[in-house]
Amino acid sequence: MSMLENLCALLVLIGMIMYAAFAGADFGGGLWTALASGPRAHKQREGLFHAIGPVWETNHVWLIFVVVVLFSCFPRGFEVLCIAMLVPLVFALVGINFRGAAFIFRHSGKYKRAELPVIEAIFSISSILTPFFLGMAVSYTGAGHIRIVNGQVQGGLWSAWVTPFTVVGGLIGLAICAYITPFYMTMRTDGGLREDFRKHALTGAVVLGILTSMEIPIAMLNAPLFFERLVRPFTLLFVGLAVICGINTLILLWRKVYRMAQLLADVTIASTITGFAAALYPDMFLGQLTYAGAAAPASTLIAVMITLPIGAALLVPSLYFLYKTFGGNPNPELPLTKCDRDTKCDRA
Amino acid sequence: MDHLLAARALMGISLGFHIIYVAFGIGFPLLLLISECLALKTENEVYHKLARSWTRTMTVLFAIGAVSGTILSFELGLLWPVFMGFGGPMIGLPFWLEGFAFFIEAIFLALYVYGEKRLSRRALVLTTIPIAISSVASAVFVISANGWMNTPAGFDLLNGNPFNVRPWQAMANESWLSEAIHGTLATCVASSFAIAGIYAYHLLKKRLTAENKLGLSLALAVGGILVPLMLVSGDLAATRAARNQPAKLAAMEAVPETTMGAPLVIGGWLDQRTNQLRYGILIPKALSLLAFHDPNATVLGLNAFPPGLRPNPNIVHPFFDLMIMSFFIMLASAGLFWIARWKRKEVFTNRPLLIAILISSPFGLLAQEFGWFVTEFGRQPWITRGAMLVAQGVTPRPIGWVLIIFVIVYIALTVGLLRLLYTPSTIKSGIPEREENYR
Repeated sequence: MSMLENLCALLVLIGMIMYAAFAGADFGGGLWTALASGPRAHKQREGLFHAIGPVWETNHVWLIFVVVVLFSCFPRGFEVLCIAMLVPLVFALVGINFRGAAFIFRHSGKYKRAELPVIEAIFSISSILTPFFLGMAVSYTGAGHIRIVNGQVQGGLWSAWVTPFTVVGGLIGLAICAYITPFYMTMRTDGGLREDFRKHALTGAVVLGILTSMEIPIAMLNAPLFFERLVRPFTLLFVGLAVICGINTLILLWRKVYRMAQLLADVTIASTITGFAAALYPDMFLGQLTYAGAAAPASTLIAVMITLPIGAALLVPSLYFLYKTFGGNPNPELPLTKCDRDTKCDRA
Repeated sequence: MDHLLAARALMGISLGFHIIYVAFGIGFPLLLLISECLALKTENEVYHKLARSWTRTMTVLFAIGAVSGTILSFELGLLWPVFMGFGGPMIGLPFWLEGFAFFIEAIFLALYVYGEKRLSRRALVLTTIPIAISSVASAVFVISANGWMNTPAGFDLLNGNPFNVRPWQAMANESWLSEAIHGTLATCVASSFAIAGIYAYHLLKKRLTAENKLGLSLALAVGGILVPLMLVSGDLAATRAARNQPAKLAAMEAVPETTMGAPLVIGGWLDQRTNQLRYGILIPKALSLLAFHDPNATVLGLNAFPPGLRPNPNIVHPFFDLMIMSFFIMLASAGLFWIARWKRKEVFTNRPLLIAILISSPFGLLAQEFGWFVTEFGRQPWITRGAMLVAQGVTPRPIGWVLIIFVIVYIALTVGLLRLLYTPSTIKSGIPEREENYR
């Protein structure tokens, strides 16, 4: 596999990590809206809702980024993906649309009081289903169950992608979202509300840990090729990193070291996804199609790579400006305080 | 349902739905930029208030544009995987660049809409510049991909497979420039007239506020300046199509047979059994003159193409005429408005004039749809002209059920959106609560 193909595959990976870490947090917001409990349930929902408002559309663009890199750089892979995963992707798209619509409806304030629970239910259900189906689709690439014979994708429309391995994969997708959101929220809240999100984060971390551990014995039975690839030293490096970081986020949360915990939570997500991609590498579809086999001609890959620095030079500072402006107190209607700008400031 | 037809219907419905939001996604930022700059220059706060009054509508439309655009980017592959496997390396580059533009637009729009309390006024005004630039850039890049489907470039074909791919040449295909200018202007015209219609409606209801008057003037200033440019860019697009997409031109103008000094046909119906044009009005030699700038130029007719490879003139020609008609309706209403203002007549209480503006207001959006029908139906049966047929690019999967699901999604979105835009705001954004727990 050439350097160029590797770099473009890396772009797909970066896009997926960014999507999981940022848009994942927005989906997690929907999940925790549904699971908000205790005396401050209303405040939890409001906080999540305010935090999502200014950033969700930008975060969502990472999905477009991944799709575009896939069809520009790995058109043959995109072709296979779209045929094999028609059903889960359609479900995810329906979720994306209802989630967006419910959110703007909620945000517009133009609803009757009685409608609020309905809007929140649509928002939550679609926020849960979307990462679940995306998780299923992603794990399907690693299940080794896609068959390509003479360039034609085999297998039924409904059956092939629903296996124990992909169902747990979908749950992991959801758990990633559930895990990451409360970490960000602990950085932006105070007092009892912060304590609520700390508990949510602990729950999310435990659930993600259990699900990812479960996937390993399931892979042994249901996706043996994936298991074989997972236990390569190269892959275990990332798996180990994910485990160490995950456990450390628990410890840091326990000790209320919020900033460090949030940073490590991001690393946990990144290494979990990288671990999955590393298990597949150099395959795009495990055992069936490599990145090299799916790749576009070098001229296209070169064009993508030489424009990347220009795009990144515009994008990175803009993203930084966005998150800096809307960091701190989740409600954008309130100005940033000194505390929001100074990370050492003690909120309690 | 035949799955090719289902896939075509779904792609058509999805794009038809999406481009309405695109129009506002490009038109609003332009108005925003103009308005905020005027506010700074004239120190008249009404301009700023006017711009801020659009933010809620703009966010809603942008959000629906973003999620429906996501459906589209996936549909490229879900419906046309074989086409994307073939064309991805050539049309990937403009989509890749568009991705960055889309990022920038989303980021700065959020900063403008939500950042009033967190940014300085100067910073807030400055954010409108990247919004306006990136929204136009998005359109220009995406249109390059459509241009490539019309006039493919940047590759050689060997046994139906592309090789020797030159992505920059593919992006700079022959149709790009003319389509990008025409298409991007069209979005601004469409949204300006739609917005003018809203203000005309308010003024008709006797809500004679400074904001409503200014809103109408501003929308019709942008619309009025850009409408004549549609004619110029349309001429460029049509003369280019005449040269590089002769089948499309033949269908647009319902030319059955290759003719020297071809007439321009207005209306009418091509009887494909007898190859006779019925009920059309003919202007002698005008088509040759318009398309080739020579009254005696030869225009290829539909019979110059094999029977299976001809677009249907009875779809393309009527939509082409409807597009032109929409243009004249908008030209007339903007013209009447500005003539009245030039003669210093009162316009904001002039009911017939306001009604005329209201009537003309949907025609920009309609013209945009008609024009897009012309370019898409005019390319049939090719998905990439001369290289791949639509039927070759389609997915092997059944698509009927996806069509039903997405139609339900679009209906739900439309119903929700209309309710949202037509109900007056009762509750402020979010629910007011004491905020101490955030601190």
